[in-house]
Amino acid sequence: MRTHWEVTRSVWHATFMREALARTTGDRFAWFWMLAEPIAFVVIMVLVRELLGRLRLIVGAEWIPWLVVGLVAFFLFREGVLRSLGAVEANRGLFAYRQVKPVDPVLVRNVLEGLLKTLVLFILIAGVALLGYDILPSDPLGAMFVWISIWLLGLGAGLVVSVVGALVPEVGRLVRMLMLPMFLLSGAIIPLQTLPYQIRQYLIYNPVVHGLESLRLSFFEGYKSLPGIDLTYLWLWSLSMIALGLALHLRFDMRLKAQ
Amino acid sequence: MIEVHNVYKRYHNHHGSDWVLKGINFTLPKGVSVGLLGRNGAGKSTLLRLIGGMDYPDRGEIVRKCRVSWPIGLTGAFQGSMTGRQNVKFVARVHGNESSIDEVMRFVEDFAEIGKAFDEPVKTYSSGMRSRLAFGLSLAFDFDVYLSDEATAVGDKAFKEKAKKAFKDRVSRASLIMVSHSEGILKDLCQAGLWLDKGEAVWFDDINDALNAYHESIEK
Repeated sequence: MRTHWEVTRSVWHATFMREALARTTGDRFAWFWMLAEPIAFVVIMVLVRELLGRLRLIVGAEWIPWLVVGLVAFFLFREGVLRSLGAVEANRGLFAYRQVKPVDPVLVRNVLEGLLKTLVLFILIAGVALLGYDILPSDPLGAMFVWISIWLLGLGAGLVVSVVGALVPEVGRLVRMLMLPMFLLSGAIIPLQTLPYQIRQYLIYNPVVHGLESLRLSFFEGYKSLPGIDLTYLWLWSLSMIALGLALHLRFDMRLKAQ
Repeated sequence: MIEVHNVYKRYHNHHGSDWVLKGINFTLPKGVSVGLLGRNGAGKSTLLRLIGGMDYPDRGEIVRKCRVSWPIGLTGAFQGSMTGRQNVKFVARVHGNESSIDEVMRFVEDFAEIGKAFDEPVKTYSSGMRSRLAFGLSLAFDFDVYLSDEATAVGDKAFKEKAKKAFKDRVSRASLIMVSHSEGILKDLCQAGLWLDKGEAVWFDDINDALNAYHESIEK
C-alpha cells in the first residue's frame, strides 16, 4: 500500500505530463502558439496604441515596457481562471481511476500555465530589452514575489470557479464574459492613474489592479502608481479564495466526480 | 477484503428519487469471487461503481483493505489526441512506482496486439482496438480485486479466447466482483453470488443457489 502523499504525488506527476502533452500535441504548432499567442497579442496592442497615437505620458515608465508587463501579468491571472474552468469537465473520464480527484487537474493546469506564462514573460522581456527599451526589473526579487502573488490569485479564483462552474454551467459563461471588463478595469492597457478619483476609488477594490501595479512598481524605479496600492490586500484575496476553493472542492468532491 | 456497511444510494432526478440501494451489507472475504445478479436497474452497476470508488454512497461506508481495480475494459478514460502508449503511461504513473512503468507498457503492447497503432492517437482507433487496449491495461496491474461490468465479451474471436484465458489465470491469483448476464461465465469464474432485489442484497455462498433464487424471482 502506498501512502496518501505517494499516491497524490504520482497523480500530479501523471496529470502534469498528460496536460503538458495534450497542450503541445493538441494540434499542429500547438507548442508554437502557446508562446506566440500572448506575444502576438502584445504586439497587436502595442501597434494599435502606437497607430492611434494616443500616447499618454506614464510617469516613471516607458509605455511599451509598461504595457508588456501589465498584459502578461493579466494573462497570468486570466489563464489561471479560464483554464481552471474547463479542467474538471475535460478530465471527467479520469475520475474512473479512484486516485484522481477533481482538484488535481485544476492544480496541475495552474502550475503548467504558470510555467508557460513565466516563459512568455522572459521571452518578452528579452525581446523588448533587445529593442532598446528599459524593461529589466529594477527589483528582480520583488518582481518575482509579485509575479507569484498574481499567480496565486489566479489559482484561488480558478479553484473557486472550477467547482462553481462545474455545478452551475451558467457561471462559466458569466466568468468568461466578465473577463473583458476585468481586462479593461485592471489597468492592463489603460493607465488607471489618469482616471478621476471618483472612478479610481471603486477600481481599487479589484485585487488584480494591486497585482499589476505592484509588479510595475517593482519593474520600474520611480514609477508613479495609484495611491493605495497594497500587496497585502492582494494576498488577503488570494489566501481567502484558495481556502474557499479548496473547501468547495472538499465539500463537492463527490458531486463533481459522480456527475 | 472488502466490507460494505449499510450502504444507501440514490440518484436525484426531476421526478423525485427512489433509493437504488437500501441498506446493503456484506463482506467479501479474501480470495472469493462474487457474481452480482439482478434484473436491469436493480443497482448492480451502481454497486460496482461504489465499490470501485467512482461514486460515493449517500449513507453507510465501504471499507477497502486491498487494491481494487477500476472496471475492467473501461475505455472512457482515454484521451483521444494522445497515443495508446501515452495513455497507458498515464495510468501506469497514477498507479505505480516509476520502475514498473516500462514493464506495464510492454505487457499492454504485447497483450493488445494492435501493432503500430499503439503509437497512434487513440481517436483513430476502432472500438475493438480500444477494447483491446483497455483490457490489456486492466490486466497489467496486480490488483487484489478486479471489477468487471459485462467486460468479458470484447474484440474478435481470437482475442476473446485470449482474454478469457488471461482473465481466468488472473482470477486464480486475485478475486473478482462481476456483473454479467451470461450465466456460464458467472458459474465459471465465481464461487459466491450476491442477488440484488428491490434495493436489498442477499448473499449466497454458492453461485448456483444465487442463480436459482434469481430465476425463481423472475418466474413469479
